[in-house]
Amino acid sequence: MAHAFSKFGAEGWYCPKCNKPLERVSVNVEYMGASFFVELPGCPTCGTILVDQELSSGKMLEVEKLLEDK
Amino acid sequence: MQHHELESFEKLCTQDAPPACQCRCPVHVEAGAVACLVSSGHFDEARKTLERFLPLAALTGRLCEGPCREKCLRGSLGGPINLPFLEQMVVTLGKATKPYPLPGTGHRTAILGSGLSSLVAAFELAKKGHKAVIHHLGPIGGSLIKLPEEKLPEKVFKETIESLKRLKINFVELDGPLSLAKISDDFKALGFEAVFIGFDDPAIEPKMLGLTESDLAPDPVTMAISRANFFISPVNLVNPHIEATKAGKIAAGSLDRLFQGVNPSSAREKEAITESILNVNLNDRESAPEVSPADPLNPTATDAINEAKRCLACSCLACLPPCPFLQDRVSYPKKLAREFYNNIITAFGNRSSNRFINSCAQCGLCGQICPNGADLGRFVDLCRLDMVATNHMPVSSHEYPLEDQVFSNSPQVAFIRPQKGSQDSKYVLFPGCQLPASLPDVTISLYRHLTSHLDGGVGIWTGCCGAPGRWSGRAILTSKTTEAMLGAHQKLGAPKVILACPSCQLMFKGSLPQIPTIGLWEVLADLPLPKESSARPGSFIIHDPCAARLDETGQDGVRSILKSLKQDYIEPKYTRRFTMCCGYGGLVDQAFPEMGQKFVSQRVMEANAIFKDANGAFIAWCIMCRDRFLASGQRSIHPLELLFDPPKEDDLIAPKPPGISKRRENRLRLRRLMLTELWQEIIPENLQEAPQMNLAIDIPASVLEDFEAKRILVSDVTMVLEHAAKNGPTFVNPESGHSIACLRPRQVTFWVDYELKADGRYLVHRAWCHRMTLPNVPGEGAESPASSEGFARTGGRV
Repeated sequence: MAHAFSKFGAEGWYCPKCNKPLERVSVNVEYMGASFFVELPGCPTCGTILVDQELSSGKMLEVEKLLEDK
Repeated sequence: MQHHELESFEKLCTQDAPPACQCRCPVHVEAGAVACLVSSGHFDEARKTLERFLPLAALTGRLCEGPCREKCLRGSLGGPINLPFLEQMVVTLGKATKPYPLPGTGHRTAILGSGLSSLVAAFELAKKGHKAVIHHLGPIGGSLIKLPEEKLPEKVFKETIESLKRLKINFVELDGPLSLAKISDDFKALGFEAVFIGFDDPAIEPKMLGLTESDLAPDPVTMAISRANFFISPVNLVNPHIEATKAGKIAAGSLDRLFQGVNPSSAREKEAITESILNVNLNDRESAPEVSPADPLNPTATDAINEAKRCLACSCLACLPPCPFLQDRVSYPKKLAREFYNNIITAFGNRSSNRFINSCAQCGLCGQICPNGADLGRFVDLCRLDMVATNHMPVSSHEYPLEDQVFSNSPQVAFIRPQKGSQDSKYVLFPGCQLPASLPDVTISLYRHLTSHLDGGVGIWTGCCGAPGRWSGRAILTSKTTEAMLGAHQKLGAPKVILACPSCQLMFKGSLPQIPTIGLWEVLADLPLPKESSARPGSFIIHDPCAARLDETGQDGVRSILKSLKQDYIEPKYTRRFTMCCGYGGLVDQAFPEMGQKFVSQRVMEANAIFKDANGAFIAWCIMCRDRFLASGQRSIHPLELLFDPPKEDDLIAPKPPGISKRRENRLRLRRLMLTELWQEIIPENLQEAPQMNLAIDIPASVLEDFEAKRILVSDVTMVLEHAAKNGPTFVNPESGHSIACLRPRQVTFWVDYELKADGRYLVHRAWCHRMTLPNVPGEGAESPASSEGFARTGGRV
């Protein structure tokens, strides 16, 4: 699953609070009672994560639907 | 859901029922399958199919009399299919399959007689591993050997007998005369457990054996006679060969059961000759005469293929042509009901049919077409209720329409008032939630028209009837909605409710039967035409909404108004009770937009075939149908527009219907206009629709279009931007000057990519959303109506 979400598409984006460029961050995502760790672009300091449009309408939507049909 | 609910539905759909020919065949040959294989020249496969039903097909296939022809539906269209000819060609041209008998069981049957029934019984027993010994008086085969060579070639007969011998079937010649007592004792002494007597062998005479008349009438289910473990083939058969085949086959089945310790008569209902219950529509079928071989003595494969092509391949599938959902699934109601039931009872693993359960428009057309009223939508209704009750309805499927229902019934939108200046309300107009969303001004004109022509006071009552909740299987939400409606109606003095929306009419009838109602079109048909009303030039086709397929009064009312308006229109093929759904029904478009599009496309395609010019348009008296046609680029007009909206210059161009955000705005606008202008009320600040901050937000049209597909409201984006204005953006991109902000106000996280321009305006580039939860996302994450009922798990929106 970590591979599935790990496409990094956040070049040029910064966290304005920490003033840090986004990096790959391991994060726990949850849905329908299932949780798993994935690597997503995020702030290395405060851990705020960016879910880009491609991910939300692609792999993430696919996994959401799979979990809804469990 | 209970299994008996599936069973009761399955009984209604006859598509799986065997056709008339198969029901009439004594051994239930799948004649349609044989003909289908022959028609494509597949004689080997056809023989394989034939051999599944016809034992010793080399003989029986040449001798069958074809009683199926009595019932063949081709009979009235050029003459019944000549199945005996096809069978003969199949066993002549098709390769025989080698039988593989089961290992020996040690059970022994004595067979008396060597006619067709005896040979069949012996063959069937040998296949099951039981020993069969044929005792014959005179030559093997009985009357079979007297048949002419062209009917049964000697070579074929001899090969059949040899094949039986290879199955370890013994032939023993007896000396006559015989008596029943003697053969009983002799057979018993030889270790035989049962006896089969084939009277189709003329050498075996009942008189000779001393059998009484009652002994000669076997039980039709088992072929057993009163004497223990004795089975016979009946005498005086109408179709001597195929019925002897049946007798031998049935008796062998009884003996096999007997040897296994099973009641020989159990579970044999399907072996009886019955009447077919399969519904077959012959209306569009053309007549075709029977194919006669050019040389009757040497028929060719082509002769057989041409005759087989005449087979009507009887099936029902009457509900498929107008239904995009059934076509897409290449299935029929009975099969789908079983698939859905299996999905519902899945304990572990994926419920892969959820999506399809939510793809039925529940429009009722299949139920109207079906002679037994098999309405898949009603079964789907049970499935959806069950899915919600057992926490298995995907939250994302119906989330948006449920939120829309709650929005429409919120105090900011819904209102109920008696007519201004009137103490009593004889009537109240309930326009529904979608008419004000699409045509707020027309709705107001309609209300004014009613108040100026109806006596006794006409109140107004806006809101949603609860149909989205009902369609999505939310029983609790539906019951809460109807309860609140009942209270509101009582408070107004229980007036008669004038219903403008066909779906509301169904909801009131089903969930609020105690509230007196009348359809808008019945009311309007009795009133004078509004002065601003006018017919439109061009070609029009009337489209009845699926919710009103049984509302003849409404259908007549609309047509009567169109006639008064002198509005020309034509009726489509599927109209009134057979009308087609636009894809809004059952929330298909919400759960499965591609399927929703197929519904609207099919209706539009049908219309385009009727319209001779490019300016054809629908007159659709459900606003959702009108909007869905417009969204697909098909001109469409609501009769209320003909009545209250003066003709516009661009009437001949299909305007875009309002999007989801505009629809909400229009509902708010209707409330504001009506309360301030008609009732001169001041709307309290807490019930005003304006956002908290007055951000200047620009959203390009292409971005708004993208919002529609994602079901993202402008108000969602405004909320995110207001949060960013107060707390700063989540991410920034100094190079592009863009910012990204996110917020999770409910069980959906929204992301907005925007630019804050130097003039303080926000330019929105993109927005997207998802349902998965991440850490550090601001927002309340409030439950939505879709996740609050029967859904303990949190959970995407399309």
